[in-house]
Amino acid sequence: MRFIGRKKRAKRLSVHLPCKKKSLRKARSIVKKFANKQGFSAEADDIALAVQEALKNIIQHACPADNTMRFVLIPSDDEMIVEVSDRGQGFDVETLKFETPSPTALHGRGVQIIKGLMDDVTITSGKNGTIVRMQKKKSQENPV
Amino acid sequence: MRIEVEEKEGYHIVTPIGELDVYTVPLFRKVLLRLEGDRKHDLVLDLSKVTFIDSSGLGSLIETYQKVTSVEGTIVFVIENPRFMKIMKLVNLDKVFKIFPNLGRALQSIGVSGGYIDREFFSDEI
Repeated sequence: MRFIGRKKRAKRLSVHLPCKKKSLRKARSIVKKFANKQGFSAEADDIALAVQEALKNIIQHACPADNTMRFVLIPSDDEMIVEVSDRGQGFDVETLKFETPSPTALHGRGVQIIKGLMDDVTITSGKNGTIVRMQKKKSQENPV
Repeated sequence: MRIEVEEKEGYHIVTPIGELDVYTVPLFRKVLLRLEGDRKHDLVLDLSKVTFIDSSGLGSLIETYQKVTSVEGTIVFVIENPRFMKIMKLVNLDKVFKIFPNLGRALQSIGVSGGYIDREFFSDEI
């Protein structure tokens, strides 16, 4: 039997971590390792920090009843998609439109960092939880 | 994280070594609160040995900046790492803080003399 033109299924990494501060460093380490392995070494630090900031927001604002934070990393040839999600009570994403903190504000910088580091960010939230979907394009700095 | 503190001509040179993030910010705050003397608000924050910073780390720098400027102290920052600078630019702190690429230049800017080598100046690299 021959398979012609069958696409190789992209490897994806799905991680569940307890909703606590201790998980952040672990998440960063997992993301960096996976990104490096998948050929995104030039982007690994940016992706890892963006995931850490998204998880930190969950810990600060929305630790869900199941006490679990989830993220999925989906690499392809030219981009890495990351989805960070929780099953908390959600929030009004419209409020984020007005939340560009002044440079000297003490808090509220997480989303600003995520948006600055990643190429595309969409946040959806409802009564079943929140999903932060981020895309990072692969640069040409990566070894082929 | 380890934090080194040195006094030079009245200025405290504070050098955190390692990651400045949600885990280590409490220690960083504690060290800064323990600074003593009439000029405890004259600071050089040498961040050249910080290997990682997150939004909590940035928050602690802003907090320090606000405390110092509210009592008309002096604060300058040393940041060598281009990645660190990229994050400072993302949040527009490069326009607020006085940032220097090495300790020698930071000290020069506040009139502290001698004893430090400007590695860039003496570098053979072109």
